[in-house]
Amino acid sequence: MIHFLIFMAFPVFFSIFLTFNKWDIISPMQFIGFKNFVRLFHDQFFFKSIFNTLLFLLINIPLQIVVALFFAELLNQKLKLMGFFRAAFFLPVIVSGVVVTIVWQQLYGFDSGLLNRILVSLGFDRIGWLVNPKIAMPSIAIMATWKNVGLYIILFLVGLQTVPKQLYEAADLEGANHWQKFSKITLPLINPTIFIVVILSTIGGFSLFIEPYIMTGGGPLNSTLSALLYIYKQGFFYGNMGYAATLGFFFAFIIVIVVILQKKYIEKEI
Amino acid sequence: MIKKTLLYFVLLIGAVSFLYPFIWMISASLAPDKEIGSLVLLPSHITFDNYHQLIQKIPVWRALFNSLFVSGLVTLGVLIFGSMTGYALARLEFRGRNLLFYIIIFTMTIPFQITLIPQYIIMVKLHWTDTYLALVVPGLMNAFGIILFRQYFKSVPQDLIDAARLDGCGEFGIIFRVMWPNSVPALVTVGILTFMASWNDVLWPLIVIRDQSLMTMPQLVTLFVVGGRAESQLGVKLASAVLLALPIIIAYMFFQKYFINSASSSGLKG
Amino acid sequence: MLSKQLNIIFIFLTLILILSSCSKQNKSKYLLTYWSSNNTYEIKFSKMIVEDWNKLHPDKLIKFQPVPEGQSSEEVILAAVVGETTPDIYSNMWQGDVETYAHAGVVLPLDKFPDFYKFMYARSDSSVLNEVKSQDGHVYQIPWKINPIMMIYNSKLLSGLGIKTPPKTYTEFYKDAAILQNKSRNAKGYVDRWFGYSEVLPTWWQRLFDYYPLYLAASGGKPLIKNDKAVFNNKYSLQVFNFLRTLYKNNYFSRERLSAQQDIFLSGVIASRFTGPWDIAHTKKFAPEGFRFNFSTIPVADSTNKVPYTYCDPKNIVIFNTCKAPKIAWEFLKFFLNEKNEKKFLEITDQLPRRKDLLANSLFEDYFNNNPLMMKFAQQAKRIRGIEQELYLKEVFDIISQEYEASVIYGVKSTKQALADAEKAVNLLYLK
Repeated sequence: MIHFLIFMAFPVFFSIFLTFNKWDIISPMQFIGFKNFVRLFHDQFFFKSIFNTLLFLLINIPLQIVVALFFAELLNQKLKLMGFFRAAFFLPVIVSGVVVTIVWQQLYGFDSGLLNRILVSLGFDRIGWLVNPKIAMPSIAIMATWKNVGLYIILFLVGLQTVPKQLYEAADLEGANHWQKFSKITLPLINPTIFIVVILSTIGGFSLFIEPYIMTGGGPLNSTLSALLYIYKQGFFYGNMGYAATLGFFFAFIIVIVVILQKKYIEKEI
Repeated sequence: MIKKTLLYFVLLIGAVSFLYPFIWMISASLAPDKEIGSLVLLPSHITFDNYHQLIQKIPVWRALFNSLFVSGLVTLGVLIFGSMTGYALARLEFRGRNLLFYIIIFTMTIPFQITLIPQYIIMVKLHWTDTYLALVVPGLMNAFGIILFRQYFKSVPQDLIDAARLDGCGEFGIIFRVMWPNSVPALVTVGILTFMASWNDVLWPLIVIRDQSLMTMPQLVTLFVVGGRAESQLGVKLASAVLLALPIIIAYMFFQKYFINSASSSGLKG
Repeated sequence: MLSKQLNIIFIFLTLILILSSCSKQNKSKYLLTYWSSNNTYEIKFSKMIVEDWNKLHPDKLIKFQPVPEGQSSEEVILAAVVGETTPDIYSNMWQGDVETYAHAGVVLPLDKFPDFYKFMYARSDSSVLNEVKSQDGHVYQIPWKINPIMMIYNSKLLSGLGIKTPPKTYTEFYKDAAILQNKSRNAKGYVDRWFGYSEVLPTWWQRLFDYYPLYLAASGGKPLIKNDKAVFNNKYSLQVFNFLRTLYKNNYFSRERLSAQQDIFLSGVIASRFTGPWDIAHTKKFAPEGFRFNFSTIPVADSTNKVPYTYCDPKNIVIFNTCKAPKIAWEFLKFFLNEKNEKKFLEITDQLPRRKDLLANSLFEDYFNNNPLMMKFAQQAKRIRGIEQELYLKEVFDIISQEYEASVIYGVKSTKQALADAEKAVNLLYLK
């Protein structure tokens, strides 16, 4: 219990305290009142990193749900090789993000990467996956989808199995087509799972760190500077601990707001 | 029949796209240097040169040991302390029990971004940076484990507990001799999830460990890839990624079912 | 029964405690710890010197380890200072960082050792000592080694294109780059070779290897900051920004992070890059058969007869305030820097000690005669600059780097505007 207080509760209060201090930790702490807050509201990188993170979520979440639902639907029947497919889809989930990033950096190469080679051989133009500031963050979002979608396929599979078979049979009698069955029966009934997926990927998205750290260092033009990467940079590149804590505080605040909004919106949809 | 073939075809494409990067990574790490750029899967001849170089450059075995050791201790700690707290919350009457439970729920919902910097400063003040303590102690408890154990322990019949009391079992005796054997699935779930999270974590080690002999495997590989020691040799970088991925992939091959089941119950988190 | 269960927990806790303490106990055998850079050859050198010292002084043992791996050693040192896990002696301190650490009282003033100046003047010019003197008048570092930045080029590739001498001016650079580009389109019509490459990451220290040496070359060694004011927003910076911008715009330099691939210089993907002598050993070790390379000076706007200035990437030695035996540390440093060891340093690492007598001392003669490439660097070493002793240099380079990325690499901002913005931001920094 004491452990809990020291490592969970105390940091929360300490971080509030730190937000009022300028502290580069090698020199003594200095109380500066609200200056960290003022600085934060004038800090273009702060807003940039929020924007980047939200952009990441905006691509990652829908993509993840669509892909995961697609494969879950396909897998939700008696299949040979079921075990193999499940295992294959799930493999990226368990492997460290470090490994995934190292490999994908090669796939994303502009001149010699696999993806661009495929594009060129199909007669398309090359894409600057990690070079183009407008595309770099979506590229990372696609990679993150690839890494995590296996988990959500499994979650959706569990969800789909709770849908009673009789409902589909009844719909078949009324002559409903695939899409109607899916949108009228499946979707509403697995809404709770969708909610969980959204929340899990939101929290995951806000902890995006190692992918840009290895791949892009936050560039090009700060387009992949994620919230956590920015905290890390302020704290451990420049040693501005007080400001880094302020950033952490505000990012946490934003996460809570985003999650509450999602909750409200999705519940309305049910 | 055509439909079925199409189904398998789509699934197979999916599975290949999830497996290909890993297979490429392994084969490229075994290929002679000049062939890496080519993205073909079969090198003209297999060489372990990259691995030899890697082992000379960075203490891989030590890092593997560190990772195993830290993740092992953390997992053990979470199982022991988590089940103790979970037991207290589920089966013991004491003042403030509900309050405590809500505090735990509360800390679980707080994004970790807020506590990152303060936790680091606590480590500095305790002079724990560059020791195993910094890696192990903060991870010894987690709210998810406590809550899962509490749920599970609630369903264990009171008769069993009473019988154990009659036999002269103390509270610890009850936890380890009655509760544990009766909640193997919960132990496995918490165990696997904790171990995986701890094994794959890289941000926290990056922050608190700078001494190479104490680095965990994902940290060492990350720094090796972004730092200068790899001397721009891609094959060696890929070899390091393979060594990082391999242990967990092997564990996954053996305990696949448990991995997937545990992950699907992590949906409870939301 | 109960005690048995408790035992498990007890054993578990003691295990943790033992482990934490044993990592600290190891050090006790040694009086001092010393960190070098983590360059492969430098590790070899430092290890050897420490072993020699330990043989001579079994009562004053020194523990050696390379600086822990990190994205940059500067980041690692900052963390070590914060975590109070600094070594006693560190030999890879970037000169621009010292003022900040001196200001915070983390490093020891070395001029307090009575024979400091005598020792230093035997080794370096007064101009070098002035360059490393803190604003408070003390000297906190020994200017140890330098790696002047020059241009490495693939001489086989260039002569194959009919380029006899490497480009010395911007105009020549454009011309040669165009020649290469015309011959470097693959079947699909894409350019797959570039004349040069510079790291495109906006990390602050990357600018030490492109913008800064080019600025020193253009301006004849002018500073960036003077009396707490930015003085870099001048015609020289503008020349450099425009030069590099043209290279990116015409695809003579690649915007992709090529450094994540297999070594691009050795595989002939790029024809040149700005680099230091550390690349010699690396290139020789990994070069494919028949590969030929050479070094040339940093390009400037108009050719002159004089060798242009360049940045020398000075890495210096400091003693941290956590050191319990500063006198012994100083003794060790004098041993470390004796002529015999400096010669070994040259031979093993192919980096230059920052000595005034590099070309005059007969001790080094053989080495330079046998290593004509290193001779080039030794000659260049007469026309070099380190970096001024100012606070916030990291932040300054970070600001320049951000503006550099926007204007030079991506062209979303004019170079003039970018430099003006950088100047404004830097001046704000020093207002605090």
